Amino acid sequence: MPQTLGVDIGGTFTDFVLFDDAGGGVKVWKNATTPGNPIEGVLTGLAEIADLSGVRVLRLGTTIATNALLERKGARVAYVTTKGFKDIPFIQRGNRRAHYDMSWIKSKPLARRHDCYEIDERLDAQGAVIKPVDDAEVAALATALAHDGIEAVAVNCLFSYVSPAHERQIRDGIAKVLPDLPISISYDVLPKWKEYERSTTTIADAFLKPVVRRSFKAMREAFAGTGIGDRVVVIKSNGGEASLDSAAETPIELAVSGPTGGVVAARALARQLEIDNIVTLDMGGTSTDCSTVVGGEASFTTDFEIEWGVPIQVPMIDIRTIGAGGGSIAWIDKGGMLRVGPQSAGADPGPACYGRGGTEPTVTDANVVLGRISPENFLGGAMQLDADAANAAVESVAGPMGMSRRHAALAIVQIANNNMVGALRTVLLEKGLDPRDFSLLAFGGAGPLHAADLLELANIPRAIVPPHPGQFSAFGFTMTDARVDRHRTVQQISDKFDRERATDVLGELIGDARAVLAAQGYTSGIELQRMLEMRYLGQNYELELPFDADAFTEANTADLWERFHAQHNARFGFAIPGERIETVNMKVALTAVGPKPDLTELPKGDGTAKPAGHRKVVFEGGDEQAGVYDRATLRAGDRIAGPALVEEPASVTLLRPGQTLTVGTFGTMDVS
Amino acid sequence: MDYVQMNILESTMVSICREMGITLMKTSYSTIFNEALDFTCALADRNGDMVAVAEFCPAQIGGMPLLIKTCVREIPLEQIEEGDVIVHNDPYRGGLHTPEHTFFKPFFVDGRLEGFAVAIGHIAEVGGMVPGGFCGEATEIFHEGLRVPPVKIKRRGVDNEDVWKIMLANVRTPRYNYGDLRAMISAVDLGVSRIAGVYAKYGKANVQQTIADLMDYSERRMRAEIENIPDGIYEFADKVEDDGIEEREFDIVVRAHVRGDQLIVDYTGSSKQARGPINATLGVTWSATYNALLHLTDPTIPKNSGCFRPVKVVAPPGTIVNVDYPAPEVGGNTETHPRIAGTLLGALGQAIPHRAMAAEGSTHANFVFGGTDARTSEYFACYDLESNGWGGRSFADGNDSCDSINGNCRITPVEVFETRFPWRIERFGLVTDSGGAGKFRGGLGYQKQMLCLNEEITASQMSDRYKLAPWGLHGGRPGGKAATLIQRAGTRDWLTVQQAYNKVSPSKYSNITIRQGDRVILQMPGGGGFGDPAERDPAMLQHDLSEGYVSRDGAAREYGVTEAAE
Amino acid sequence: MKFSANRLYVEQYLKCDNCGILLYEGEPQIADAEAGKKFCSDWCVDWYRTETMKRFGRDAG
Repeated sequence: MPQTLGVDIGGTFTDFVLFDDAGGGVKVWKNATTPGNPIEGVLTGLAEIADLSGVRVLRLGTTIATNALLERKGARVAYVTTKGFKDIPFIQRGNRRAHYDMSWIKSKPLARRHDCYEIDERLDAQGAVIKPVDDAEVAALATALAHDGIEAVAVNCLFSYVSPAHERQIRDGIAKVLPDLPISISYDVLPKWKEYERSTTTIADAFLKPVVRRSFKAMREAFAGTGIGDRVVVIKSNGGEASLDSAAETPIELAVSGPTGGVVAARALARQLEIDNIVTLDMGGTSTDCSTVVGGEASFTTDFEIEWGVPIQVPMIDIRTIGAGGGSIAWIDKGGMLRVGPQSAGADPGPACYGRGGTEPTVTDANVVLGRISPENFLGGAMQLDADAANAAVESVAGPMGMSRRHAALAIVQIANNNMVGALRTVLLEKGLDPRDFSLLAFGGAGPLHAADLLELANIPRAIVPPHPGQFSAFGFTMTDARVDRHRTVQQISDKFDRERATDVLGELIGDARAVLAAQGYTSGIELQRMLEMRYLGQNYELELPFDADAFTEANTADLWERFHAQHNARFGFAIPGERIETVNMKVALTAVGPKPDLTELPKGDGTAKPAGHRKVVFEGGDEQAGVYDRATLRAGDRIAGPALVEEPASVTLLRPGQTLTVGTFGTMDVS
Repeated sequence: MDYVQMNILESTMVSICREMGITLMKTSYSTIFNEALDFTCALADRNGDMVAVAEFCPAQIGGMPLLIKTCVREIPLEQIEEGDVIVHNDPYRGGLHTPEHTFFKPFFVDGRLEGFAVAIGHIAEVGGMVPGGFCGEATEIFHEGLRVPPVKIKRRGVDNEDVWKIMLANVRTPRYNYGDLRAMISAVDLGVSRIAGVYAKYGKANVQQTIADLMDYSERRMRAEIENIPDGIYEFADKVEDDGIEEREFDIVVRAHVRGDQLIVDYTGSSKQARGPINATLGVTWSATYNALLHLTDPTIPKNSGCFRPVKVVAPPGTIVNVDYPAPEVGGNTETHPRIAGTLLGALGQAIPHRAMAAEGSTHANFVFGGTDARTSEYFACYDLESNGWGGRSFADGNDSCDSINGNCRITPVEVFETRFPWRIERFGLVTDSGGAGKFRGGLGYQKQMLCLNEEITASQMSDRYKLAPWGLHGGRPGGKAATLIQRAGTRDWLTVQQAYNKVSPSKYSNITIRQGDRVILQMPGGGGFGDPAERDPAMLQHDLSEGYVSRDGAAREYGVTEAAE
Repeated sequence: MKFSANRLYVEQYLKCDNCGILLYEGEPQIADAEAGKKFCSDWCVDWYRTETMKRFGRDAG
């Protein structure tokens, strides 16, 4: 009876989801995170499983890389580059974080300027050698590095995306002298143009290597006693799993691991429910993550920054995070306008209603005032909330605004909702996606509480609250596949498109990705996606088009250009027929599709659900008596008419007057 | 006033402007748009008041209010129909400089013109004497490119082909210009369709009222900020070092009168307009004034025309801060703008010293070039810009390599540049000791050395700070100066443009011929220092030495530190 | 702004002699015939007299 275990280590709780691959159901639990040594908390949770030998794989969302980057606690990195260009990481791109902020201090690279070195070599834009690498110069550099306390090396040569020969020669030359020193070359990490972005990504990879290696070693040792140490895999930023060995090779791919779980679960849910398009809303205490599943596929990006101006351009699931959550604080600005966030009460002291000394009004406090969160039944009754403290906190902004307390609480929730609408706009409208084609999948502790309000505001027709919305990320980890993404910049123009070269590069990318999967034991059942990023010659941003052949032929290439014109017209409202098209990047994604548990069907009910009680809830139109339901009692096919609340241990779902909730076959709650 | 409605509508309108900007960035052709982000997008009401704007280029944000207002005053509203798109770049009619093109598209609610979606952006090639728009030796507007008064480039949804043909016949890179114009139209199209949805959702009367409330709100916030500056008259002056035509300095003089919640910014006393292209249009001077003010006030104030009601700008006609027809003006927007803004910051910095900053490098270099690429036989033209060091501040060193205050533009990557243009960049590094010494030193400028690969390239430049260094504050020393140096193929000497081409100015010139094998160095200025260098924290100086920001000689000369460091 | 009779081109860009803003036909303008100046508003007339002339004398502007 093999089982899949997903573990998500959050700031407060570590979530566990155990899925029986043979359809024996799902078990969900959580325990406190142990911040100093998170594996300890994981081991505590493993005690819930009687027989660990049944666990086929333990998939772990890891914060090792994220924290090392945010806290800047990584290796001392030597940056090695083309002669004349060692200041590229310091010059950066010249733009400022904010227009009018003279107090801003520019972000620093993850390597010191003192540790930047140059090699007298040069390629031109076509990859031709202007100046070859001198092995003696590299050997001398390696000797210097040995004396300088360097812990890792990042090599980034100009135009290496066209030809990796120089970077490899430098890597090999250093390794000959210093065989144990971790070295990252930009061609392996990010074989794409724009030297600054490539430098920061390559430096970050080198910066992480020693840290991740050490952490994985410690992890292996910690799990040694459980007998499942060799079945632990980690989740990469692309939502795919990777073995510890594979992940340690390019640790930059672990930059955003945990939040991908929710999107992977959303994609699986979309497929099972046969929905094409989902926008996710993962709302927690301090932040909200939004992402999309379009046509059954998660959306990817290479546009990510560890802090402002320091990009990490590896392929990852496109998750937009805003600083708005249940703990976001409401305040009155100098002009008398009510604002919410980005300051958050966090977990400590938390919202005023937690009774831990917080006095400032938060979104959660407003929800208590509005009757949407029950003080008695928060976290399944595990925590008694202080309604008086919530009232007093909201009163502190209501008074000065000249509003009633209830009116102020409504305003706080409306503004918080509007902040989330802004995040939804960035993942939908700003990418040319029409919200009316989407379902809003709401999870995280607070997502289901706000989904009903957001439908109308964001022009989205329906919302879905999945089973176990509070543990949805860990749930996603039970559904993850091994996935490898490979990109390379290959600029070609449509009127002189070298089909042979394009075919060769595509083959190389696929071969490379296959080898990475094979090294982890995946050789069959591999799904393959090929994409080209292209634009009108002269533009600077690309549209991505799928391509589904191994070779470029006259016919499928002509079709590609036609599809580009059509997509440009669809996305931007115009096309330039006959214009030359430039292909910029070629991309492949290989997924080794593993066994995946199906969602469990919920027993069918008689269509009516019985409320456990009633409660007064405040809406814009006035007070309403809302039925309060216990989610555990709901059955497939049950329908509930709003206003209503559905409570479960980690979350509450709100239904506005006029909205209807239907319980789906797999236990989802659909609100429309 | 419904503050909740205001908050929601404001962020919705700003995100519409952002969305317009993203469309523009993603579909435009010129690197000045899509890499450098030299554009912005806004929404305006039917009176020509700006109601929301996206945070792209600050020079254009501050320029919007006058620009929109002027166009609305010029074209009678009853002549504007649904589906029209108006294009305009006339510097004397609210514009900023010839390359800056503005597109307006009206939106109608219940059959009545309700407002405009507006996109403004820098088009790299505009015709005129030199490729790339920046003619350092222009003496008339006609040298600077094609001037377009407000005309309809689309009429009721259909391209007005006559206008397209005239505009595209007068530029060197029509294929690129066509793409840029299309991108701008696509941005205003998007803005109009989105704002129409907002009116439909919230109701016309409600939106109108909320927009009026929002402008009042911004006005109130701005008045409260000005009220916080001690009353008084604050004076400051700076100079533009020459105009490319005459070898003499030009004064920018400001008297800022803070009277309660009102600010009067009087530039009377500034030099008469120059013969060369350093003159600022009135739009530039308003924009620079607003830019400085926004740097000193709360950044969360919603940016709309209401913000600027408490501010009165006095810019006498016929001066360097308000050029009269037909004098040239292309450098006013890039070079004189930061000088005007810096002067006002210098003046108001006396009232609020904790917010003051020493002079930033404040030039964009504006090294423009064009030619026929021998590899493709295609004509190319490039307008790129460069960044410089910030001034030291009361609490921190200046940032290295940042775009000047009037832009928030990005420099073009070496790999993009070499792929597009027949140059090889040989060195691109920070200039040691270019940050003005101080308790908090200025940020560093950089140097870029380029080798010409084409048989011939024609270059021009419109820059400053080659002779007069960025000033320090409170005892801080000046930052490093800018330079352009030429090395002819087969020679070893580096010459200024004056030496190599017999030009009047080292920083403002037109149409020099650079041949294959010639090298060019562009050096960008550092920022001025803040406070007495003797007061610099020894640990910070030690760090400067070990990281190579300050040389040992520099430490000895500027900080009086001679013992071996490191 | 003085347009040609056929309104196809500008004959003169007219500006307020104090603040420098364009003066369009049909909008209020205040002429100071004695000084040979024109202004957009009473405020500008006043500022020109009390500030500018005081600082720079009669030939100011």
